[in-house]
Amino acid sequence: MADVAQMPGVWQQLKLIGGLRWRILRNGLRRKNNRWDLIGMIWAVFFGGVLVLGLCFAFYAGTCEFLAKNRPQWMALLFWGLFVWWQIFPIFVVGLGANFEFKTLLRFPLSLRAFYLLGLGYGLADFAALSSIAWIISMLAGAVTARASVVPVLLLASALFVLLNVTMERLIGSWLEKILAKRRTRELFFGLFILSMVSLNFISPIMHRYGSSAKPRFVEIIGYLWWTPGSLAGNTVAGAVHGDSRGFLLGLAGLLVWIGITSGLLWRRFRAQYFGEELGESGAPAAVRKRELQRESSSELPRFISPQVAAVVVKEFRYLTRNGFAFITFLLPPIMVIFFSMQFAGKNSVLREHGLSTEMFFPALMAYLILILLSPAYNSFAFEGKGIQTYFMTPVRFRDVLLGKNLMLAALVILELSISVGVMIWRVGWPSPAMFVSTVAAVAFAVVGQLTIANWSSLMFPKKMEIGKMKGQRNSGVAVWTAFGAQITIGGICGVILFAGKWTGNPWLPAIAFAGLTAAAAGGYTAALGAMDRLAEKKRELLIETLCR
Amino acid sequence: MQEIAIRTEKLTRRFGALTAVDEMDLQVVAGQFFGFLGPNGAGKSTTIKMLTGLLAPTSGRMELLGVDFAAHPVEVKRQIGVVPEGMGLFERLTGMEYLRFVGRMYGLDRGTTEKRAQELLEFMQLADREKTLVADYSHGMQKKLALAAAVIHGPRILFLDEPFEGVDALAAGALKALLGRMTERGVTIFLTTHVLEIVERLCSHVAIIHKGKLVAQGSLGELRAGVPGSQGEEGQKTLEQIFLSIVGQSGGEQAKFEELTWLT
Repeated sequence: MADVAQMPGVWQQLKLIGGLRWRILRNGLRRKNNRWDLIGMIWAVFFGGVLVLGLCFAFYAGTCEFLAKNRPQWMALLFWGLFVWWQIFPIFVVGLGANFEFKTLLRFPLSLRAFYLLGLGYGLADFAALSSIAWIISMLAGAVTARASVVPVLLLASALFVLLNVTMERLIGSWLEKILAKRRTRELFFGLFILSMVSLNFISPIMHRYGSSAKPRFVEIIGYLWWTPGSLAGNTVAGAVHGDSRGFLLGLAGLLVWIGITSGLLWRRFRAQYFGEELGESGAPAAVRKRELQRESSSELPRFISPQVAAVVVKEFRYLTRNGFAFITFLLPPIMVIFFSMQFAGKNSVLREHGLSTEMFFPALMAYLILILLSPAYNSFAFEGKGIQTYFMTPVRFRDVLLGKNLMLAALVILELSISVGVMIWRVGWPSPAMFVSTVAAVAFAVVGQLTIANWSSLMFPKKMEIGKMKGQRNSGVAVWTAFGAQITIGGICGVILFAGKWTGNPWLPAIAFAGLTAAAAGGYTAALGAMDRLAEKKRELLIETLCR
Repeated sequence: MQEIAIRTEKLTRRFGALTAVDEMDLQVVAGQFFGFLGPNGAGKSTTIKMLTGLLAPTSGRMELLGVDFAAHPVEVKRQIGVVPEGMGLFERLTGMEYLRFVGRMYGLDRGTTEKRAQELLEFMQLADREKTLVADYSHGMQKKLALAAAVIHGPRILFLDEPFEGVDALAAGALKALLGRMTERGVTIFLTTHVLEIVERLCSHVAIIHKGKLVAQGSLGELRAGVPGSQGEEGQKTLEQIFLSIVGQSGGEQAKFEELTWLT
């Protein structure tokens, strides 16, 4: 029998966890990186604070306005805003949450009730919840100013609304956690997430085209949303103000039903976790039927590439096809061409005759695509993980590793740009031959020129990233600034040369200049590979320590 | 004259103020099954990392098969195979793809790589998981794959950092037999593990590192002869007794137990 004389109470357990969180934060500051992150966090809190404070005034003013003009039913709008913010924002920042899995506390003798309350407590401590509560307090202040008699009912509706939101947010979070625990679904989810983010770009053109005809239908739909939390909270307040006890009670009952359902479901989820729900990949994958191993056909690369370089190219290809996030990134360019052509160029664009000419659109589009496609090159070892050790253990020169990576990326860039140019020609038309050739030459210069800098950046400022994860998935700040500086510089050079063709009246001048620059950049790239070899040896420990962590 | 597989001279590695490996002079004869032991934090992994090119020494010299590592790293790496501490696997490749990758990185031609990869997967009982991503392998399966990758090019020296950790008894038995046969063919095996029974059963020679310094080196018989004290059940000192005696902790635990009366 263990010597636990008495189980600690719920409050004591909560206190212990609070102390633990504080010590984790304090001890984390011993690392330099974490101190930098804290400074970043302080800035984020500052800007977040400005946003919250600004909207506090908006909620205050809105409440004053609605209550002073006897339109309490419009309070539903404010509750709706709060509801959407509280439920949607945490999904967006799923990757930025605290690095603390509160479920790890389950190894201690926590009661299920304490575990549930802790879960809710964590829900109240995130940014969406804190900001929403600040806005609700502003609404209460507004009610005090405009119509003090409403305060008790607003307080009651708000308390229920807060409880409902925090419960629902935790419920959605725990479901998401369950869904995202599987690698495949995680990758699929993030793929859909990115595509949905991109598709937001199309809202403006669609509204431009169909907005006026869709408006009456939209207003009609709103009437059917009386059962949603925002409307129920608003109706509770409005019922009390207008002396409509039926409306007041219905609103209140509706909120209580919501709380009951979400609490029941959340209790079920937490109970499953409490009793040891396994969310990881399946422990023992089903046996795969044994069969004859086949020779790999995709590794048949040209003979002029050394086996080591070829092996890296094949490995990079495999990684690309298994990295949903990167894969989506490479699906984006043609989609963006369609979007930009809808907005800025071509006869069907929003700007119509005021849009960009093909002569301007083509180089601008290429510059944008190069910006997107070459960004991963600045942290090209991000996804290697512990595999980075293989490069140092095997008899391979690092120049071959970098060359393999660069070849794969260059092939991909060529493919992407070819498809995008095809889409552009379909949507907008051909540029002049001189502009076409000049831009293609400029692209060659930009790619070759940037690869040298990107290789240096990858070795100097590596940052580990994990496939299928969003938490902490960002490049090193210095690498981001390096990429930004290189792209601005090279983009600037290209812009000046392209305009020089126009100014001198010789449309073929840029093509000649870029051909020369590309040759020089290629020479520089080749010469730099040897230096990269030595740099990799010098940065070996940094690379291994950062990527194997 | 015996060929020296591994020779270090005053090999030192410092991390700031901490000297993890302190002027180590190590010598391993070719074909030996060599056990490298030490308590936690003694400098074992740091040594193995330096010997395999994963970490640069602060000072000192390393020669593998008579070749200076610092001057000819690529030539040395051609001759060695490594199962490092973290296994160094690319998790988004399948087991078969990883072996193909490593084989090609060692410069094997495609046909040889393919044949050896298949044979190694069969031997490691991973053939039915050839299409499974390494990320989805269990820890033991990953260890077996790391071992397969370490030997695919037929190395002359094999560095193994805790190779049997997480490997099931069946596979471990087959692996030990394989390693034994490799040493018979002249391959040098440099093994670090905390399981002293494994070292006692497999290794002919042992070195013990403590607080960064090499405190003992020799055959098991030589180490037994050099250590005073009681004998084991079979009439000779066990490696555990030798180890505890050399690192100076035999009896230390007894004293500590007395302080934990509430537990014992």
